[in-house]
Amino acid sequence: MKTNFFTRLLLWTGLGLLLVWSLGPIYWTLASSVTPTEDFSTRPIHFYPQHFTFDHYARVLGISISRIGGVEVWKQFRAALFNSVVTSVAATVLCVAISALGAYAFTRLRFPGRQMLFGLVVATLAIPAYAVLIPLYQIMIKMHLVDTYVGVALIYVSAYLPLSLWLLRSVFEALPVSLEEAAQLDGAGRLFIFFNIVLPLAGPGLAAAGILTFLGAWGQYLVPLIFSPQVTKPLTVLIPEFVTKNFIDYGLITASGSIAIIIPALVVIFLNRYLVSGLLAGSVK
Amino acid sequence: MASVTVDNVRKSYVNFEVLHGIDIEIQDGEFVILVGPSGCGKSTLLRMIAGLEDISSGTVAIGSKVVNNVAPKERDIAMVFQSYALYPHLTVEANMGFSLRLAKAPKSEISRRVKEAAQILGLETLLDRYPRNLSGGQRQRVAMGRAIVRQPQVFLFDEPLSNLDAKLRVQMRSEIKQLHQRLKTTIVYVTHDQIEAMTMADRIVVMRDGYVEQIGSPLELYDRPSNLFVAGFIGSPGMNFIPGTVLDALQPAFRSESGLVLPLPTGIPVTPGQALIVGIRPEHIGVRQGDIEAIVELIEPTGAETQITFRLGGTPVIASVRERFDKHPGEKVLLQMDLSAVHVFDAKTGARLEA
Repeated sequence: MKTNFFTRLLLWTGLGLLLVWSLGPIYWTLASSVTPTEDFSTRPIHFYPQHFTFDHYARVLGISISRIGGVEVWKQFRAALFNSVVTSVAATVLCVAISALGAYAFTRLRFPGRQMLFGLVVATLAIPAYAVLIPLYQIMIKMHLVDTYVGVALIYVSAYLPLSLWLLRSVFEALPVSLEEAAQLDGAGRLFIFFNIVLPLAGPGLAAAGILTFLGAWGQYLVPLIFSPQVTKPLTVLIPEFVTKNFIDYGLITASGSIAIIIPALVVIFLNRYLVSGLLAGSVK
Repeated sequence: MASVTVDNVRKSYVNFEVLHGIDIEIQDGEFVILVGPSGCGKSTLLRMIAGLEDISSGTVAIGSKVVNNVAPKERDIAMVFQSYALYPHLTVEANMGFSLRLAKAPKSEISRRVKEAAQILGLETLLDRYPRNLSGGQRQRVAMGRAIVRQPQVFLFDEPLSNLDAKLRVQMRSEIKQLHQRLKTTIVYVTHDQIEAMTMADRIVVMRDGYVEQIGSPLELYDRPSNLFVAGFIGSPGMNFIPGTVLDALQPAFRSESGLVLPLPTGIPVTPGQALIVGIRPEHIGVRQGDIEAIVELIEPTGAETQITFRLGGTPVIASVRERFDKHPGEKVLLQMDLSAVHVFDAKTGARLEA
């Protein structure tokens, strides 16, 4: 396609705006995390650090000791990081496993009310979280699941399951049924076919579902704010607590924020390898 | 090896019947081809034999055992799919050995049988490749290899050649026929291509709209089609049909709509005024020293023979001749018909009329 100068200019401007929009805040976080505390109050604001320091990272990582509310920052950070990882990973594994089984049933099994049931599950996507927060809290209290890994992970699963189910159903529907029939004739049972034929071919779909769930769970704030107040407090809840009554510790907030970016970035990079298409090449036709 | 008996089999979906009582006896070791236009129910019938579709009523038996309620994997059959359905994440060797691995056969046995099948099909050098690295013809062979390795009672083929190009299709056709001669296993094969059916089958089952139209050997179907549909379906180019009526005369004769008068074979049960369709195959029309006037419309040389379309009154008629034809479109010729090879059908029922 031939593009004239004006079209190219328009495209590049759009791309530029998009880059600034999505990368700007990340740059600002990274830049602030290496700015000395004194420089935050200087005016005018500079778009790059005037002085450079690793002091905030040292405090977050426990190389130099710093306390908030009598507890070392490093210990709080370590616990929250651990909690974030545990709840997000647990939610992702559970969610992908359950939705894969469910989506396969919705795709290949014929049972009455199949379409309606699927519609109902997916329709829960439209329900805003705050609408169910209070009844959910009552349920969790009764089941003694508040401030437990299981409790928070289960809430994440219920939140991300419909999306994941929806996505995986369309992935399974796209798989040629003749492959499964061939396996059936070769003597394989339903579960064997599911684990040995369907799942390997649905790799990209599983990776996508995993990424969506992990990122969603990792970034959750409202749910853990209520359901993970103490023991299972994740990074998203901890970091805003670096704002105390008299002092906003921008350095600490941005340094820990920068570290919090690394984990989901690694997850995406790792799972991205499975997002390649063309796994089915050569199978049919 | 085993026989396959299809007895009064019906298939219906909710309020819609697609197979209306099919009866087919397939002998042990026979190569039977189900042929018909798309939507005639041939693939559905094959899938019912395989156990991939439920049987609404009637029975399917493999050997002496009725298999209506037997799971596909226990029917001891192997199927080759139109789409090949190779497992894309497994090598050729693993694809072919898949069923044996599931049956927990010892490794040495699996590898021996896979090698054997690979040798039959010329796949020895491709065993550690993945399906994506194979050509269409090679994939087709792997799909057949996967079936052969199992040494089943019955092979089922569901339009296995329709994804291949014309040349490869001809080649695979003879390979499958040779394979059958070598293994002597019962084969049920589905295709919509009547040439495939004619060239490979011991017997052909012609189907239309969920009914069996005729069962017979390829030449039986060609020489004595039991109705208009079979007559038109088998043979390429197809049989010429000339509509007309029985003349009221002492000697039974036929008068076409365009006024052509032909004597009818003696002893045919017709009544004067009855509407008939006379069929004649293109090779039974000659272009030398005839007495039937026609106009040349189209000449299609294929090398070995030439197909010529004539207009005979209002009816187009195709002749297929081996000699060279030097006339041009628009010219008049005198055709000659081999009247002993004429087929007569009732125009209303489409049934063949014979003495």
